[in-house]
Amino acid sequence: MTAALAISPSLPGLSTAAMSEAAPPTDETLVAATLAGDEAAFSELIRRHKRRVFGTASRFARNDHQIEDIAQEAFIRAFKNLQNFRHDAPFEHWLARVTISACYDFLRREKKHRATARLDAVEFDLRDLSSERDLSARRAREVLAWAMKRLRPEEQLVLTLCEIEERPIREVSSLTGWSESNVKVRAFRARQALKQILCDHAER
Amino acid sequence: MPNADEMLDRLFRAARNEAPGGASLEFAFETRVMARLRDDASAGLFTWAWKLAPFFAALAVAAGLWSRSASAQADAIATLISEASRTQAEAALVSYLTGGR
Repeated sequence: MTAALAISPSLPGLSTAAMSEAAPPTDETLVAATLAGDEAAFSELIRRHKRRVFGTASRFARNDHQIEDIAQEAFIRAFKNLQNFRHDAPFEHWLARVTISACYDFLRREKKHRATARLDAVEFDLRDLSSERDLSARRAREVLAWAMKRLRPEEQLVLTLCEIEERPIREVSSLTGWSESNVKVRAFRARQALKQILCDHAER
Repeated sequence: MPNADEMLDRLFRAARNEAPGGASLEFAFETRVMARLRDDASAGLFTWAWKLAPFFAALAVAAGLWSRSASAQADAIATLISEASRTQAEAALVSYLTGGR
C-alpha cells in the first residue's frame, strides 16, 4: 500500500485522496504510469512479479548469480518494450513470455561455455536412478543438468517447460511463439535425445 | 538398468520437487534493476557520444581548414588593397608634381 500511495500522484486521472481509499492499482494502471514516465510504478511492477520471474529463471540457471542476471534481463527487456504490451492479455502473461525469451537467450549464450566444460564434472551411475527413494531432488537436478547441457538450447527450453514445469502444450506454444504441433515435435525429439545421452553414458 | 523412459520420468519428477530458487535474491531487487536501467540510459548517451566523436573531429578539422584558407584569402585581399592604394597615392603625387592636376 505504501508503494501504491507513493506512486498515486502521478497516475493519470486519479487524485491522491481517491487512491488512498481505493484498491491498489492494477498492473495495467502501473504500466500506463510507467509509460507516462513514473519510475516508481515500474518498481512496483517488479516488486509484484519478481518471485515468479525468479522461479522461472531458477529452472534454467545453475546458481544465484545466473538467476539474478536472467531476472534483471527480463525486467529490463520488459521496461524497454513496454510500449509493445497490448492489453489483450494480463501483464503477467506478457512478462512470462519476456522471461522465457531471456531464459532462451541465456541458454544460447551458455551453450558456448558448455561446449568447453568438462563433461565428467558430474559423474553418476545410472543404476543409482533405479531407486527413486534414493534419488534426491538435488542429485536429480545435477544429473539432468549434466545431460541437458548436451542438448540444444531449444530442446532444453521445451523440456524444462513441458516436463519439469509441466505446463500445457498450449501455454508452451504461447510462451515460445512456436505452434502447438511444433512444441509437441520438439518435446518428443528432445526427450529422445536426452534418453540417448543418458544411455550412451551408461554404456561407457 | 531401469527402462530409459521410466528413468527419465523419475529424473523429471525428482527435479520438479526441488523448490524454485532465487528467494535470497529478492531483497532490494527492484532497486538494483532500476539502478541498472539508469546506468543503461547514461551508458547509451556515452556510447552515442563515442559514436559521434569521429564526426565532430572531422567537423573541427574542416572548420580549421576553412578558417585557415579564409584568413589567407583575407590577407591576400588586404595586400592587394594596400598595394593598390599605395600605387594610387604615388600616381596622384606624380600627377600633382608634373602639374597634371
